Amino acid sequence: MTSESKANGFTRRGFIGLAGAAAASTLLAACSPGGGSTGGGTGKPIKFWNMPWGAPTAFPQEDKRIVAAYKPKSGLPAVSYQQIQWANFTQTFTTAVAANTNPSVSSGGGTTAFLFEKEGKIHYADDVIAKVWASNGIKDDFLPGLLDTMKTANGYAAVPYNLDMRLYWYNKQLMDKAGASLPTDWDSFEAACKALKKIGVYGYGTYSGAGAFTGGHTLVAHMINNGGGLFDKDQNPNVVTDQNIQAMEWVLGLVKNGYVDPRSATYTSANAYSQMNAGQFGMIWDGAGTPANVNANVASQLVVGDPLTGPSGQKGALYFPNNIFMFKNSPSIEGSEAFLNYYYQNMKTLWTKKTGIGLPPLKSIAKAAYADDPNATKIIDTWQPISKTWGAPGSNTVFYNVTKVDGTQPMIAFAQSILGGNTTAKDALTTLQKALESA
Amino acid sequence: MTANAVEGLKRARRGVGVGGRGPATPSPRGPRQGRTTLGRSWGTLTAFALPSLVLLILLNLFPVIYAFLQSLQNGTPSTLPWEADFVGLQNYVTVLTSPQFWQAAEFTLVFTIVGVFGSWIVGLGLALLLRTRIPGNTAFKVLLLLPWIVPIVVSSTAWNWMVATPQSPLPVLFSWFGMDNVNFLGDPLLAQILVCVFKVWISFPFMMMMMASALASVDTNVYEAAKVDGASSWQTFTGITLPMISRSTYISWILMTIFCVNDFPTIFLLTQGGPVNATTTLIVLAYQYAFQNLQTGIGTAIAFIMTFVLVIISVVLYRQIKKVNIE
Repeated sequence: MTSESKANGFTRRGFIGLAGAAAASTLLAACSPGGGSTGGGTGKPIKFWNMPWGAPTAFPQEDKRIVAAYKPKSGLPAVSYQQIQWANFTQTFTTAVAANTNPSVSSGGGTTAFLFEKEGKIHYADDVIAKVWASNGIKDDFLPGLLDTMKTANGYAAVPYNLDMRLYWYNKQLMDKAGASLPTDWDSFEAACKALKKIGVYGYGTYSGAGAFTGGHTLVAHMINNGGGLFDKDQNPNVVTDQNIQAMEWVLGLVKNGYVDPRSATYTSANAYSQMNAGQFGMIWDGAGTPANVNANVASQLVVGDPLTGPSGQKGALYFPNNIFMFKNSPSIEGSEAFLNYYYQNMKTLWTKKTGIGLPPLKSIAKAAYADDPNATKIIDTWQPISKTWGAPGSNTVFYNVTKVDGTQPMIAFAQSILGGNTTAKDALTTLQKALESA
Repeated sequence: MTANAVEGLKRARRGVGVGGRGPATPSPRGPRQGRTTLGRSWGTLTAFALPSLVLLILLNLFPVIYAFLQSLQNGTPSTLPWEADFVGLQNYVTVLTSPQFWQAAEFTLVFTIVGVFGSWIVGLGLALLLRTRIPGNTAFKVLLLLPWIVPIVVSSTAWNWMVATPQSPLPVLFSWFGMDNVNFLGDPLLAQILVCVFKVWISFPFMMMMMASALASVDTNVYEAAKVDGASSWQTFTGITLPMISRSTYISWILMTIFCVNDFPTIFLLTQGGPVNATTTLIVLAYQYAFQNLQTGIGTAIAFIMTFVLVIISVVLYRQIKKVNIE
């Protein structure tokens, strides 16, 4: 046998050696930080996790470049970058926290920071805001009221990073064809819907099907518009209020009058955009990125509507300040704070290079990125200042109990019951209240 | 072939081993104490098997035990076991007294019954059909496997496209017959029917293959004898075919029951349990509690209740298999 293996020129020892080398290289590759890291730095690099906030290629490329260009001061650690996918992201974070392998600085879902803040895992950003950003101007550069949406009883659990707005767009061409006036309040919105119906077009476009939460978001936006909302000042669900009942009765009226596509309750976003492309929606309640999701012809006709004045005389809407937060168990808190400051000083290109990320949190970035985009400018100037978080009307912050409503089944079921029209406002709100109380 | 080789083949067919001993021939003496018939000690065999056993336990048993612990606690997905409050069986009581649970259980039962028997009837019918010699038989078999082979994400997207909007093919087809505005996904009853039909559609290829292999094992002489005796097609089917494939049938029912009860993507991708929870099954409900509501205790309690019921069903059906005695 020995002579046979030598004749082949490949012995068993050779094979074992090759297998061992392959295993060792695999192990080393698995141990190396994904996504790249900054150069220099002292000690073990700290981890920065970011979600895919923009276009699949453009956003991570630019984001990695920003992180790679970070040159930490002497004594501070370098930073390694990793992009985390949205699929099962809650589990990704929770298992990492449980295993103590979580990042030092991270973005996540809108409420992720507050979930971990409740468990005492968050390092508050107060020092960065009060000492660093107060002196270098970033603190005053935040859009109005935005920074305080991140404030908890113990401090700033996170800092705003990008904004997801809820507003409505109208199709100029269809509105002109219908002879509809641009809405300014609920009555004129309903009048526009009536005019659009005459040309066979739905005025209240929305979607609340599988994987789509916008329908529910829009209903809450109407509640806030009327001075209502989901949470009281103690951050507990309190949805059966006169303002909310009035808001939902308004929507039910729109449904009953045929201004809402009866299938909206189960439309996915793809279904809704196909209806836009088919000219079936004269107006649609959606995020700031709607034009990017429809065909070029429809996109060229889309204009951001004006915030509506509700029956209570107020303007209001819902928005989601996505955020970046720091974990307490960072190898270097000083390093985390230094990187956070660097990132906010240099993240402008994520918007100016059109990587697809949501609206910026800073006025200077908005000005630089949207000088030639009247719709985005209008959203920043007119919708952001009147928008509130899930916490309305009790507060304009994000907190742990928001997890009961953010993308949850009770909210989806609530939206589907209203948009389906087979309920009363009080019944639907009462069902929602019970579901939130038991959650 | 030599005479010895021929003799060896004959003995192999009788189940006699190479060494001259076989099932019919007991060995002159049993294995030596501490050693198996393979001539190795139990200790050695255990040592070889231990790494795989440890891996199996870690990968399978540990998550089950961990999940059961979670069902006795009041935690979130991010709560470590020693951090969560122990609530005993409270989560199980909460689940079993929840109207939402029973609504989901009811639809799970309907979904499973339709899924199991619907796919079995279609699968068996196609398996019988494909036994006949028709042109393109092989091509048909491959095409009929497609619903099972195609990833569920693709299938659910296609079905959504088929029914979701007024311009979708099925609503348009229904409008030709005077049924305008059929809202397949928005009407609770229609959504339930749609989800069940979708399940039958993606499951029948599996049943078709199970039944085809079962039918292939039936001795054709029996059919000839039945024909000689003047049995009709129906009598042949009910008196011969069904009993002779009953073992495979029960096995396929057990498997399909488990598949249906545990089927998350079919429902979640098409309706997400809506509209207004109409198509929510227990597995979807468990997911919603654990990963949307962040109530891991209740989510895992639902999962364990489901497991318990599945075990009972499987035991009952398995006993039926054992009772089947085919001569």
